[in-house]
Amino acid sequence: MSMLTGFRDKSFLDKISILNEVATAKDPAELEALLDLFQNPLDDTSVDYMVVTALNGVLSSDEQKAVELLDKEEGKLRTLCIRVCGEFQFKSAVPALLKMAEGDVDPDFLFEVLTSLSKIGGPEALGLFRSNINNDDDLIVVMSIEMLGELKDEESIPALKAFVERNNEDGNYGVCDLTTWKAVECLASIGSDDALDFVVANLHHRNPTVRRVVTDSLTVLAVKAVPYLTKVISPETDKDDMILAANVLGFIGEKEGLDVLMDAIEKKFSTDSSVKYAIYEAIGRIGTMKGVISLIDGLDDDDELITVAVMTGLDGLVNPGVTKKLVEIVGQGGSKAGKILRAIVTAKAVNIFQSLYAEEKIGRFLMNAVVASKDSEVHEAFRAKLTEIGGEAADADIARLPEAVEIGGKKALAVDDSKSMLALYRSILTNAGYEPTVGENGQDAYAHIQLGEKFDVIITDMNMPVMDGMEFVSKLRQTEGYADIPVIMVTTESEYSQQELARKTGVNDFITKPFTADQLKAKIAEYVS
Amino acid sequence: MNVELAKPFIKAAVDVLSMMAMISPKPGKPYVKKSKTAVGDVTGLVGITGDMNGTISISFTKNCAVTIVKNMLGDDIQDILQDVQDAVGEITNMVSGQARAGLAEQGLIFSGATPSVIMGDNHTITHIATTPIMAIPFTSEAGEFTIEFCFE
Repeated sequence: MSMLTGFRDKSFLDKISILNEVATAKDPAELEALLDLFQNPLDDTSVDYMVVTALNGVLSSDEQKAVELLDKEEGKLRTLCIRVCGEFQFKSAVPALLKMAEGDVDPDFLFEVLTSLSKIGGPEALGLFRSNINNDDDLIVVMSIEMLGELKDEESIPALKAFVERNNEDGNYGVCDLTTWKAVECLASIGSDDALDFVVANLHHRNPTVRRVVTDSLTVLAVKAVPYLTKVISPETDKDDMILAANVLGFIGEKEGLDVLMDAIEKKFSTDSSVKYAIYEAIGRIGTMKGVISLIDGLDDDDELITVAVMTGLDGLVNPGVTKKLVEIVGQGGSKAGKILRAIVTAKAVNIFQSLYAEEKIGRFLMNAVVASKDSEVHEAFRAKLTEIGGEAADADIARLPEAVEIGGKKALAVDDSKSMLALYRSILTNAGYEPTVGENGQDAYAHIQLGEKFDVIITDMNMPVMDGMEFVSKLRQTEGYADIPVIMVTTESEYSQQELARKTGVNDFITKPFTADQLKAKIAEYVS
Repeated sequence: MNVELAKPFIKAAVDVLSMMAMISPKPGKPYVKKSKTAVGDVTGLVGITGDMNGTISISFTKNCAVTIVKNMLGDDIQDILQDVQDAVGEITNMVSGQARAGLAEQGLIFSGATPSVIMGDNHTITHIATTPIMAIPFTSEAGEFTIEFCFE
């Protein structure tokens, strides 16, 4: 006898426990009675809710019946069957589902059918997903794009490219469309040469969020993305593209990316110091012993910024060979030695410091450079290291470090995702008499604003993870009391359109990487007297 | 992030607002954002846990929120700030509840926390997940509002 006989006359608690049992037992014999309860509800939300659950359970154990009902039924029961077929991946439902999606169907209903088909999976529905890639309903489009990616459908590549390109046109690049995000992920998932070349080419998309999506997708692809990124590292490439590709190779951190980066340095693909900076930084991030050779060679570069990038990279790779080499170069004295010692201090390369500390003369010089710094955070970092080293000499050196230095009272906020750039800003700003505060991204920086900290000037990078420069500035400008504070944006992207967008957001001025300490100081002086 | 999760919330928002506040919202083009700034002045935020974890928020412009409150309470407004806060919290709660019921029909079980309401121009919304945030802008005769989703 059916458990559901006389159900409607039972007490509430009995109803619930019976339905619970039916849902677990999944006995097809209960189906008829359940269907009746579903079609003629009891008007008690909790019980009706349980009926749905029980029906779901029973249908899940009876594929044939569930598919049969798809054809016969209409309205809410059909929707329930569509969902059950998807949830339990009933392959035999595919023909019926495909048929339902034909012709002029209501978008909400079509969405149900597509969702179900996407859960069942398999190539049968490929044509249907292709044909809905330009549907008027964006959610249907996105669902279709996701499936085309899963099915790795190369035929859809042109249509997918079109989403990203449309989002890059004048007047369309203000926000990152949901479809663009999904199209980029889909292209990355398809993974053909054509698709990945296109994704890499969009490292330079005009919308910052799209650029983030592209960077993230490539980073997720890891080794697979390396060959496509390396193509961009060539003498013919635009310098901005080369920088962005080098950044991603660094994020991926696989040794496969190293050769091309080392080549780029050796064969002088670019003489631009911001390109070299990005490459050294990436080599440092990849962090193999092979990369160390390139980094050491980078010490020959006259640019102080590059020396800082090299030191940041080397700091994680210290070994006796590196120490020996540094001792040798610094031992020769001259302006190069001074530059290297300053860079160790600026980059807060405490591991290198430790390895050189025991070297009599050089250790002394390095310590003097630390003491000479005006930056209290530098002192803090080296004080911690000296404490760790311990011993009499170290204690004596700790005593030499000044306690928190009071500077003029002017404050600056610098925002950049590159550790070495931040180190450089700290150094330049303290030198110019500012008390520096730094943030690794817009959100990090905005936390200081939320605490109500006041600054005389803000210097920010444009492309950063989590919250980019543009978003940071727009938030800043909308915060009470920060409408007029001068903001200088540091950019490698010379295009007019980006600067236009940034100016509208509230950036006062730009400085293009590479710049010297004096250029930055001069730029700040234009705004702060 | 699955779009199929978003759909029930959109439907619930339209249903709840047209029923409670007598407005007819029209969804616009969805977009992706990475920042945490709200796109409105009053936000109802609710955390969802279960088969997946995430947060949903509904941000109203000032005008939109006030119009909705007037439609809901008539002219009997005591303290506009308090009433707006209550109403937005209540709407968020209803949307979350109705959407979760819709998701349960798809076999996805979620429980929702009590919504919190944040007010202030361009305030920050902290979605718990780190994945990109999907935003759907709506227009209505009362003004604009935006629903944001973030699922891990």
